[in-house]
Amino acid sequence: MSLPDKLREWFEVRLGIAELVEKRLTGYLLPRNINAWYSLGSVLLVIFGIQVVTGILLLIYYVPDADKAFRSVTAIMNDVPFGWLIRMCHAVGSNMMVAVLLLHMLSVLFMGSYKRPRELNWLTGFILFNLVLGISLTGYLLPWSQLSFWATTVATNSAGAIPVIGGYLVEFLRGGKLVGPPTLGRFFAVHVALLPLLIAALIGAHLFLLERIGVSAPPFGLANTRTRWAGDRFRHESHPDGIPFYPTYLLQDATSIFIYLALFFGVVFFNPYLFFPPTAFIPADPFKTPPHIKPEWYFLANYQTLKVFPNELLGLMVQGAVMSLLALLPFIDRGAERHPLKRPLFLACFIGGICVYLAMTIWGHYS
Amino acid sequence: MEPPHAHALETVCIQCHGSQPGKGGVPVGQWRGSIHEENGISCHDCHGGDPRDAVNAMSPARGFIGAPAEQQIPAFCGRCHVGITEDYLKSAHGKALGTGGPTCVTCHGSHRVAAATLDIINENRCGTCHSFDRAAAIKDAMTRTEAMIAVIDAKIRLLKGEGVDTDSREKSLFALRNTFRRLFHEVDTARVEQESGRIRSELSAIDQSLALYDQAKQRRKFIGAIVVGALLLAALFSHLLKKTWN
Repeated sequence: MSLPDKLREWFEVRLGIAELVEKRLTGYLLPRNINAWYSLGSVLLVIFGIQVVTGILLLIYYVPDADKAFRSVTAIMNDVPFGWLIRMCHAVGSNMMVAVLLLHMLSVLFMGSYKRPRELNWLTGFILFNLVLGISLTGYLLPWSQLSFWATTVATNSAGAIPVIGGYLVEFLRGGKLVGPPTLGRFFAVHVALLPLLIAALIGAHLFLLERIGVSAPPFGLANTRTRWAGDRFRHESHPDGIPFYPTYLLQDATSIFIYLALFFGVVFFNPYLFFPPTAFIPADPFKTPPHIKPEWYFLANYQTLKVFPNELLGLMVQGAVMSLLALLPFIDRGAERHPLKRPLFLACFIGGICVYLAMTIWGHYS
Repeated sequence: MEPPHAHALETVCIQCHGSQPGKGGVPVGQWRGSIHEENGISCHDCHGGDPRDAVNAMSPARGFIGAPAEQQIPAFCGRCHVGITEDYLKSAHGKALGTGGPTCVTCHGSHRVAAATLDIINENRCGTCHSFDRAAAIKDAMTRTEAMIAVIDAKIRLLKGEGVDTDSREKSLFALRNTFRRLFHEVDTARVEQESGRIRSELSAIDQSLALYDQAKQRRKFIGAIVVGALLLAALFSHLLKKTWN
């Protein structure tokens, strides 16, 4: 017996690798009609991994001190070998993560995969989406640039519209009356410690639920597109006539990941300033308000909603209502049918919602 | 945040003279839109007096000094423009002060003061006292230098907007620009040409150092093209492999 064979045997008798491979890879069957949209979850895992790695590398040189933060980021961009690449990957990656997450959620909505018994999958995913928005918001302040300082001022100011606790909430978020060094300290701690842990835990819960309940079959190309779960007992949805995860769907995952990475590095190498206006490279100046302060693209719809309503509280209430509706959708939309064409009301709301979101985003950009 | 000139608009000088018809109101009209108004420099900053007390606004006891006599003009402007006044007094123009030579206001105007540009040197203005030949040679040397400064300044701004650390270049450009601007009151053609040439060679050195960033950007794009191409090929390979497996 050769040395590699001996090693394999050594691990096999201790870990049962063959059984693991059979159970989790070759014998793990997915719906025969599964499509490429299902691979967005794997793409998101890769993005999260890149964010963690680049974030740790940035931590080596970043100084979370209001007097030194901007200078340290400038040093990363100019003096640290490949620092510009690491920082751009992290910054562009955060934007791409939100975009891919939105696509993932839209595909889940469109295919009705959020429906029972997958309410918890949806809920954990929805919380993950909010945590990603939170980690993006807190990370935005860290370079301590004019853009980050004033965008954070505007973002935290919105919380002040909440009756009774608004003022306290703003002060709690900022660590004072105004955005300043204490804000940087708490945003830094939340960005590099609290939120990554929460996101990792939620990803674990999301995958655990996926594993327990099983992958939902897309509602396309099937005679029966209604959910088959009766709701009487736990049942893992298996697909005995399906395709193996390894190698078939893993190759689909790999294809999607490579396409994403090509797009990602295309932005990083050819237009990394897509998400950076010039104010992103000017140090924060609390006494100089730049004109036309705008949040990141993924907050533009929220920003414009606040401006459309006569007061901020009403705008916040509408946003809260929409977010609550989305979070609780599986508990409200309880019909068994999953095919979008057999759910015209849902389809109209789905398309209308996307149109309103896009319109508000574009309006927010040009307003 | 209030505009920088907001306080300039509140003075009793502006209120009173601004409403006067005829000669008394002319300076206010000329001052409006000037570089002085833009930077919040109001009547009392030059002429003294109390800008908040209409009765005593023009009282010498409150520091009112009124309009200077012709020979006092360089010293009058020189309270703020110290270096420029020194340059002027050393020049042939300054040496002719009081004997028909030009003062600050001859070229720059007294109230309608615009940001100084090389357009101030023109045949109409210079030709009233002497031939334009020497002034034209000076203007030519300066125009070339000014153009280089503008180009390099734009490049630095662009790079700064991309996160490049341009601090040292900005400081060098700032120092060179100041040296160059001190030539504006020099009327010795040979010296202007020599100094402008020296400044241009130093500007070229800054320009060359900035060109390295362009090269680095090109290099990054080249590497990026290889990376993106390789990833797209990997995606295609993976897709074809999946089809084959199916």
